[in-house]
Amino acid sequence: MDHSTHIEEIARRYPAERRFSLAILQDIQREFNYIPAEALPIVAARLDTPQAHLYALATFYKSLSLVPKGKHVVKLCDGTACHMRGAGNLLGSLSRQLRLDADGRTDDGQFSVELVNCLGSCALAPVMVVGEAYYGKVSLEQLPTLVDSYREGGENDE
Amino acid sequence: MISITVNGRVCACEEGEYLLDVAERNGMLIPHLCYHRGLLPIGACRVCIVEVIERGRSKVVASCVYPVRDGIEVHTASPRIREQRSVIIALLLSLAPGSTEIKRLALQLGADIPRLVKAPESDTCVLCGRCTAACEALGTGAIAKVGRGVTKKIAAPFDGMPPDCIGCGSCAHVCPTGTIAYEHTDESVSVWGREFELMRCTGCNAPLMTREQHDFLTRKGGESPELLCERCGKQGVARKLKTRERYLG
Repeated sequence: MDHSTHIEEIARRYPAERRFSLAILQDIQREFNYIPAEALPIVAARLDTPQAHLYALATFYKSLSLVPKGKHVVKLCDGTACHMRGAGNLLGSLSRQLRLDADGRTDDGQFSVELVNCLGSCALAPVMVVGEAYYGKVSLEQLPTLVDSYREGGENDE
Repeated sequence: MISITVNGRVCACEEGEYLLDVAERNGMLIPHLCYHRGLLPIGACRVCIVEVIERGRSKVVASCVYPVRDGIEVHTASPRIREQRSVIIALLLSLAPGSTEIKRLALQLGADIPRLVKAPESDTCVLCGRCTAACEALGTGAIAKVGRGVTKKIAAPFDGMPPDCIGCGSCAHVCPTGTIAYEHTDESVSVWGREFELMRCTGCNAPLMTREQHDFLTRKGGESPELLCERCGKQGVARKLKTRERYLG
């Protein structure tokens, strides 16, 4: 199934009403790991809504991305507590280990790293989330092993 | 029917009406920027702030989006409001120093102009949202507020040319800072980096509307509108009335 038919299929899961814009975009994000540019006209036509409206949503919400996110999305907390306990050092170490580009992604599409404001687990600072898994009191020493377990073929790379 | 007091004057109004509308109807003008009579209220610029006293408590609200409640007491130009409003205007003016509309407001309200004005730049948008509201109401919603926070701006998808734009020019018409470039000649209109060919009045050959606008009206109205300018349209009706038998009672 090529992209367009797949997007079309996702859009058809919902009634053709504007209020389902966000739900459809979220499903597309989940499916492709990003919102492909070609999705906008397809969803817009299905919902009879302007493309600009969908684009505004896609740029407003952090959970939606117009460029492909990595297979593993690493969220590094930079809230006050985590910031004080060295989130900056963790980020530096991560970007060296993974050779992240300016947008926080790896070339192989395996990882993308983003700084987030607070994950609500300040007692565990510094906190890092990979996919759905939370890691608390992350230290620079354990970072390489943790990262390796998510690399291609690692134990956590399903 | 309920009643509120604006600047000491009792005004009758309906529940749910917006404060600014009620005040203006009763002859008390509240300065505003993003509010436009022809559009749904936006509430972005905060120029129309007023003081509302309800159950002994005073608060500052944006009157264009504040639904009135029975018995509230409103002050549109208290010292507190004057001060806050002039700061808001000064900040807006620092974003768009060239805007005649904001300059007029600043002069009228005695805002501190020179202190905050930055060097004029090409980007003079104050993100009031009039253009997107106008596009939504009259056009197709081709442009939107894109992004968030300090990077928010008015744009079309992927910063390109808006695919849904019909070249009606409503966005440029309502823009208070003249940020949106809109040019038209006898043959064409250009806006948002796109060029639109103009269709002409079948009566007098005057440029009338863009082809895309005509298509849009056709889609919206279910039938294709006559290509007549206002004058030729009126003349056509008058001619019909003249030649046909009229009902005389």
